[in-house]
Amino acid sequence: MKLIRHKDKAWMGIWLAVMAGVGVWDVLFLNKPALKQVVAGFLNTFVISLLVVIITLACGWLVTICLYYLEARRNKTGYLLLTFLLNLIRSIPQIVGILFGYILVAYLTGKGTLQSPTLVFPLMAAIVSLFIFIELVDLMRERIEYYKRLDFYSAMLVCGIPESRIINFDILWKNSRLHIFNKLISVFGISVFLQCSVDFIISVGLSTGVSSVNLPLTLGSLLAKIDSKQDILAIGHTLTHPSYFPNLFFGHLQGVTVAFLIVFTLMCIYHISNGYAERHRL
Amino acid sequence: MRVKLIEHFLSIGVVSLILIAALFISKAGTVKKESPAYARFSDISFVDCNNPFHTALLHDVYNIFYPGRYDENKRIVNELIREKEKQFRLSLMTSHVKEGLTGRKFIQLGGMLLKFVLVYAVVMFLTYYGVQTFGVWRFIRRKRQVALRLENRPAGFAVSCITLVKKIAQTGVYMLLFSPAYVIAYSIRTEFNTDTVFFVVLLGVVSNGLLVMYTNKFYTFLMTESRKGYVETAVVKNCKNSYSPHDRDGIPYREIFRIVKRFDGHVFGHIFKNAQYQYISTIKEQASFLITGLIIIEMALNIHGYLNYEMLRQILYANYDIVIAIILGIFYTVKVTEIVTDILYHRVSLKYENR
Repeated sequence: MKLIRHKDKAWMGIWLAVMAGVGVWDVLFLNKPALKQVVAGFLNTFVISLLVVIITLACGWLVTICLYYLEARRNKTGYLLLTFLLNLIRSIPQIVGILFGYILVAYLTGKGTLQSPTLVFPLMAAIVSLFIFIELVDLMRERIEYYKRLDFYSAMLVCGIPESRIINFDILWKNSRLHIFNKLISVFGISVFLQCSVDFIISVGLSTGVSSVNLPLTLGSLLAKIDSKQDILAIGHTLTHPSYFPNLFFGHLQGVTVAFLIVFTLMCIYHISNGYAERHRL
Repeated sequence: MRVKLIEHFLSIGVVSLILIAALFISKAGTVKKESPAYARFSDISFVDCNNPFHTALLHDVYNIFYPGRYDENKRIVNELIREKEKQFRLSLMTSHVKEGLTGRKFIQLGGMLLKFVLVYAVVMFLTYYGVQTFGVWRFIRRKRQVALRLENRPAGFAVSCITLVKKIAQTGVYMLLFSPAYVIAYSIRTEFNTDTVFFVVLLGVVSNGLLVMYTNKFYTFLMTESRKGYVETAVVKNCKNSYSPHDRDGIPYREIFRIVKRFDGHVFGHIFKNAQYQYISTIKEQASFLITGLIIIEMALNIHGYLNYEMLRQILYANYDIVIAIILGIFYTVKVTEIVTDILYHRVSLKYENR
């Protein structure tokens, strides 16, 4: 009952249960090669998204601290340069930035410069993080500003506590980690969404040298495959031929599974983030 | 405000400079390099490589001009013939895809950008209206539910069943709203024409989770405002505070769905205005997400005549000068949105802070 009362935990449970259910269904009715691809796509997408979360946190924290010290030390040139750069990245639509980043990765992989997945995965995650981490920087700076306006900050300074400890530990860790964690949940969701979209787009094959074949298989690129596309088209067919509906779960399982995994995951992440914010009154 | 504007114009200037420089570099980089072995003999346009008489004649001419190197001359002629054939095949393959940034192309791209901006403006208006309407509706529904719970009405079996059905339907709607545009588009492609502007607008509004996420944000602003002290003071001072649609002092449905919402004399009017003020700072974020969504829609649907599909096509054909011009257009669109939002926020701030 406690689990149901907490919306975020309940949705986490629903997501895990549904994923397990889909997994069992696919083991029973999906052919082995396709199942292997779906599992690989799912795992790759989630590993890259997790890496995005870690890199975003590291970059966000680092840039926030840099900005804080540049502002506090009245280093106007450094501060203006960094904010200018951040605003510049903000002005580039995320999808365009990531698309070009992925093209570069695919090109390098195709040429053989990048071979190992231990290099490709973090590089792909870093590209996605570059266009997301600013949201975390905004949140962290907002939190620091808020606490600086309170007596709390001045009182701690008077007590002789170093400024770095107040900012890093007392403000960001002790008093803002719930906010940061909530932001990271949505970063995970945005990352899944952007990754799938970019992979879907470049899967049309941008040139002979740049192709998604050179990138790790993800849910987006799997959805763009011709057999998955035909499975998705079959969903539309059921709108006018409802009797065809049961076939979706047997004959068109690959595409339907991939589309469902993307959509259901995005929805669950939204509910988990929402529930988490409600539970902690953020 | 002045600092912000300077920053915007500075970034416009810097990015324009970088991209225009990249445009010239990409144009300069397209000059072809030839193999040095036959480079000086390749400009013999009157020689028909498919004609054996021409090639034999060419070989003889080489032997006359460069005597004593028969094999070398034969190799050069063969290489020249191969290269000419290769160039001919390549020109056949790329004649329809190689494009330059000519005046005509520039006007064509301008038209596409205009269409993109128009679609963007329409979707922005619709989502802004949708976010506010659904946010208000959700807030009022919540208030009504709280009032009903206070009345302690018992929930029977029928009510529980209806609630369950509602929950399932709600999950279905959420799944639709969270579907990436390409999933929805491909799902209904066989039954509907998805290549129209109307469909792009529709997808822009209902897909990618835009409407749900920002409705939730606006709803959170409304909830935060409703917990503030001035609301309780207003209620104590007899300001209207019923949320029932049937009460004389309540909020009727037509007020919720109006384009310009006014709740005069009702405590919710103040909550709404203050939440609206807070929401203005989120518009920039919403606009940025919307542009990302529209780019995904245009690229994934593969519809000719749309700016972002054109960008994808030109990347494929390696016409980088056109790609740079398109990126510049999108960048200006984002920047104009940011400037307009900042000015709007500044103006409203002045009003709210009594300056």
